[in-house]
Amino acid sequence: MEEKLAELAHIMEHLRPHTVLYIGNIPISSTVVTTWMVMAILTIAVFLATRNLSSKPRGVQHLLEMLIGFIEGLLEDAMDKEGRKYLPLIATLFLFILSLNLSWFIPTVKPPTIDISTTAAFGVTTVVVIQIFAIQKKGVGGYLHHFTEPTIALAPLTIIEEFVKPVSLSLRLFGNMFGEKMVVTILFMLLPLVVPTPVMLLGVLMGFIQAFVFTLLPITYLQTFIKGH
Amino acid sequence: MTGISFIGVGLAIGLAALGSALGQGNASARAMEGIARQPEASGEIRTSLLLALAFMEALTLFSFVIAILMWTKIG
Repeated sequence: MEEKLAELAHIMEHLRPHTVLYIGNIPISSTVVTTWMVMAILTIAVFLATRNLSSKPRGVQHLLEMLIGFIEGLLEDAMDKEGRKYLPLIATLFLFILSLNLSWFIPTVKPPTIDISTTAAFGVTTVVVIQIFAIQKKGVGGYLHHFTEPTIALAPLTIIEEFVKPVSLSLRLFGNMFGEKMVVTILFMLLPLVVPTPVMLLGVLMGFIQAFVFTLLPITYLQTFIKGH
Repeated sequence: MTGISFIGVGLAIGLAALGSALGQGNASARAMEGIARQPEASGEIRTSLLLALAFMEALTLFSFVIAILMWTKIG
């Protein structure tokens, strides 16, 4: 028990991304390598699945169509017909984050979403793209007018809200995945094999829910811009 | 001194978890009541419940991140 507890002090080494290789003087962390690996797998898998499309979907095509149809339904609920324009962004976010979360179950791989750099990149790019969509839709004047919506007195708050969005988006994904991974790692050190397995199963569910939440929140953000309060 | 610091880290995440557990429990209970009364609205209720839970959970996660930051400072 003593050495197990001593090992617990070094738990962060199991959770922090490690440096895999150097290109010149620039260290390349395991996060980057895993992200590119998942990107390659996802691209190839989707390419192979959509090569022979048939009007009677079967197998993988059916699965993908169900998924896209589900997200399309969410967008249409929020923004009617107009929501379909944003399907590529939102569906990509869902698929990509889901596969990053589930890359946990490849042995020896640290999922990139337990690194705050990945989730911060997701949060910032998503919110910036949403601002661009809003400007495209309403013009610069309409976009600026949005910040004075209820009254001009609340303008500082609505502007701060815009800056908080990427922080909360990225911390939510990071915190959930990191917490889950940390619990499993600690359980794995103390009581290997039997106890961590159900908790890992919960991790699958968590991966799905977090990916879903990360698609749902950009939809509601877009909705406030496109349709007003 | 470091012992007391660890208590502080534990309390930070523990109290945050308590608050959001109460809030999430309340929200889920009401959502289930709503589904039991109106099963046809279950899809819509589930989506908005997940959204609400995500917002509540974010508060705990802020505390979690702060607890990690504090913990790495103790050393």
